[in-house]
Amino acid sequence: MEKRAVIPSFANYFIMGLLAFVYVTPVLFMIVGSFKPDMLVLPEAGTWRGIFPVTVSLENYVSVFERVAFERFMFNSAIINGLIVGLGLLVNAPAGYALARLRWRGRQVALGFVLTLMVIPFEAIALPLFYQVTVMGWRDDYLVQAFPFVAFPLSIYLFYSFFLSMPKELEEAAYIDGAGIFRTFFTIVVPNAKPAFASVAIVTLLMFWGMYLWPLLVTAGPSVRPLPLGIATFYTLPPLQWGDILAFGVMMVMPVLVVFLIFQRWFVQGVASTGVK
Amino acid sequence: MSGRFRKYLHVNASDAAAWGMAGPALAGICIFILTPFLLAVFLSFTNLALGSPLPLEFVGFRQYRVIFTDTGFSRALLNNLLFLTGIVPTQTLLALMLALMLNQRLKGIAIYRTLFFMPVVFPMSLIAVIWTLIYAPGPDGLMNTFLGIVTFGAWEPRDFTNHPHLALPAIMLLSVWQGVGFQMVVLLAGLQGIPENLYEAAAIDGAGRWSRFVHVTLPGLRNPLIFVIIITSILSFRVFDQVRIMTRGGPRNATTTVVFEAVRVGFDRGQVAMGAAMSVIFFLIVLLITVIQRRLLKQEGVQ
Amino acid sequence: MIFRLCALFGGMMLPVACFLFACGTGEQNDPPLLTVWIHSAQPAERQTIRDQIRRFNAEEEEYQVHLTIIPEDEYNGQVQAAAVAGDLPDLLVFDGPYVYNYVWQGILIPLGPLLPDVIMDDLIPSLVTQGTYRDTFYSVGTYDSGLGLYARKSHLDEIGARIPHGPEDAWSIDEFDAILAALADAGPNGRVLDLKLNYQGEYFTYAYSPILQSAGADLIDRRDYRKTSGVLNSPAAVAAMMRLQRWFEAGYVDPNLDDAAFTEGRVSLSWVGHWEYSRYHAAWGDDVVILPLPDFGTGSRTGQGSWNWGITRFCGNPEWGVRFLRFLLQPEEVLAMSRADSAVPATKTAMEKSPLYREGGPLRLFAVQLLEGYGVSRPRTPAYPVITSVFSDSFLDIRHGGDVKTILDRASTIIDRDIAFNKGYPD
Repeated sequence: MEKRAVIPSFANYFIMGLLAFVYVTPVLFMIVGSFKPDMLVLPEAGTWRGIFPVTVSLENYVSVFERVAFERFMFNSAIINGLIVGLGLLVNAPAGYALARLRWRGRQVALGFVLTLMVIPFEAIALPLFYQVTVMGWRDDYLVQAFPFVAFPLSIYLFYSFFLSMPKELEEAAYIDGAGIFRTFFTIVVPNAKPAFASVAIVTLLMFWGMYLWPLLVTAGPSVRPLPLGIATFYTLPPLQWGDILAFGVMMVMPVLVVFLIFQRWFVQGVASTGVK
Repeated sequence: MSGRFRKYLHVNASDAAAWGMAGPALAGICIFILTPFLLAVFLSFTNLALGSPLPLEFVGFRQYRVIFTDTGFSRALLNNLLFLTGIVPTQTLLALMLALMLNQRLKGIAIYRTLFFMPVVFPMSLIAVIWTLIYAPGPDGLMNTFLGIVTFGAWEPRDFTNHPHLALPAIMLLSVWQGVGFQMVVLLAGLQGIPENLYEAAAIDGAGRWSRFVHVTLPGLRNPLIFVIIITSILSFRVFDQVRIMTRGGPRNATTTVVFEAVRVGFDRGQVAMGAAMSVIFFLIVLLITVIQRRLLKQEGVQ
Repeated sequence: MIFRLCALFGGMMLPVACFLFACGTGEQNDPPLLTVWIHSAQPAERQTIRDQIRRFNAEEEEYQVHLTIIPEDEYNGQVQAAAVAGDLPDLLVFDGPYVYNYVWQGILIPLGPLLPDVIMDDLIPSLVTQGTYRDTFYSVGTYDSGLGLYARKSHLDEIGARIPHGPEDAWSIDEFDAILAALADAGPNGRVLDLKLNYQGEYFTYAYSPILQSAGADLIDRRDYRKTSGVLNSPAAVAAMMRLQRWFEAGYVDPNLDDAAFTEGRVSLSWVGHWEYSRYHAAWGDDVVILPLPDFGTGSRTGQGSWNWGITRFCGNPEWGVRFLRFLLQPEEVLAMSRADSAVPATKTAMEKSPLYREGGPLRLFAVQLLEGYGVSRPRTPAYPVITSVFSDSFLDIRHGGDVKTILDRASTIIDRDIAFNKGYPD
């Protein structure tokens, strides 16, 4: 890495600061707007008041809860994503381990299978999958929104990569002592694979928290719908009150933002490692 | 099985145990990814429509012909291509610039990295709603004001999302805004992987800053660059959320995309077979892009 | 530490999943429910139906009505998907002309035998027409729609235009063009007409297909509903649409992005339906008059039809559904709904009591149009969804200056192709 700064320090910070500021303006706009009375959001948008809090009130946040069942949307998102992430770890990690460490008939085929399916973008199968589950009568509940994503090729691949590069000594010691595969996996491998689990969990969460297309197809009405659909419907629900909508947005992104800020090291690592092969 | 992997594998594993570990995941992706994919191919040759009491029958390539004449699919393909040619260079250049800037040992630089990366974490539906507000027509809209300032008042306020020529670029802009952070992080990691001594050697040989950039940085970034270009290209075909929420296909199909059209035809109108045909074509395009990537990467001898 | 949390979490999800699997979202609680879907209409209408359900549930002892509101733009997709999944509600509301497609799909049960004669006789004829497919009655609306030209009387007086008294008296198209020109000259920027260009899709078919009918053409040949060729693209249709196009070319039409062209006085005429009455009246009071649409050759024609109710085949107790519908059709309830959006009351009894729609009321024109046959129902065929989406697109293409004959030819081809592919939508 080039140690020398591109240009003298102060100018550096200034330019980057300016860029970052312009870049982050929409986010500031959202936050500040959510604390403003609705009538002021649009008129003040183009002024400095749009991104600098002058009036601060919680009325929009209250209004959101009065107009829609926000807590329901949040709960739905939590359950759906909890299932996808939680069950995903349980299902994809062993698969990644088996592919990386075990020798078994069909391993090569299975690996090829996973790598091939990784190429298929979700949108390409969304419609036929929609038809598939609808015809089976499986609609409008939490499971149909979560199950299809539990087994996820990218997660399997991330675990696979990780386990490949993990040093084998501890496992070998366990095997020499006569431990079986499952026991070794759960008692020795898993506790030592924390970074992998953390990365995969976070990547999965951040990928699926904003999921919009699939719930749109398989749910009707707000009872089991997650936040992304909530805000899209809320936005089309007259009367159009921007302050409320922005408040909804702030609350909706808070959980993932917090998770991201705390665990960004792992997340960035996960993201970067897929690219710098 | 290449020799490289042999040493990583244990020997004493029963097939049953291995299948037990990998089974659920493999079954899952079989049921929820492979099956619908095959179903899409199958359905695209039929006349299936939701709720139609007509019997299912094979119609050959009819759907593939009809989607180009009777739906907005051709326009959607064009729009996605425009998206690709607009977003890929812009986003990549911007990300490269940011990565270079952030690749310095200055205190607190991580904060900037976080700020630029933050939009990646936002759900696209939320971004679509915020940017609808930003694109508000009339002089108070944030974007109109911004452009007014930047052009010293020459800019006339416009209604972006309803404008036949501005709607697509407007959507591209917000997609870039969201996506730059991801590319930046990958390129940054790539930059940090370039050995210091290469720069020193080049400097000793008398290479100036620009020359060092072209001959050391860029080659060192080859793989990450190809990776982000390919990912972004594929992503520019997957655009859906923002179109559905902001423009619904835009003024007379100006912003329709492949996925949006497939949902409009396959779900809103219940023409599942037509939607399946669109999905198949969409997959083939993505496959093409991926194959190109593998070829390009293989040239370096990297798998 | 964090890791242990994750492990705990992952482990917890398994029983959660099993639990959810076991009980699903079936709400088998007492009392039994009558599930109902409606679209997310205007706030006033939404509030009214909520109040009505509340009133009904307070009185009804055997069951309770359970309401789900579905966003309008995904409504049709959701209904079809639910039908395939076997998940439809007991009752649902849907946009009028879609009933024929739903009947064809086998979603709805006939209402005729379930509704008593006293109610059927009280319904205004346009609603009976709307709900009838192949001589069987399937759906009933609690209101119908009115479509006309809202005009600023003072502007018309200024240019000396005559004010029609009723649909039989409507302006001819030539008169209309002359009035537009005169208004444009008198006005500040030449914009005089609001065609609600900010609306979407279905509205354009509703509002502008009457032009075809007034000109002697139509959307489809209504003798057997199998072909549009020669009807949709007939010379009369092309000529009529070209006159429409000339209004755009002459710059008469306001883009109406803020939906306020009429209320802010930018235009003198607004071609739209009953739901704008309260807003327009609030803006301009008695200066607003409601006039019939211009006569393109065979007489003034206007649109009719709106959202209406049907009972699905999944309803375990159609009798309960009927009880709810009878409640909604009581005069006070019909009037309540009519007040919400100024819609045309569904029953003659209610209409007589409505301050807006009885003799001498400000919206009497809408009632007259429906009662005396000036309204034309949109084509009663399962092919309607295709017809409307193609026609709407065609309208927009015409608006943007395309060649009218080519556009209508293409529309006709696409629709005919779909009908043929569906084997004419047989029973």
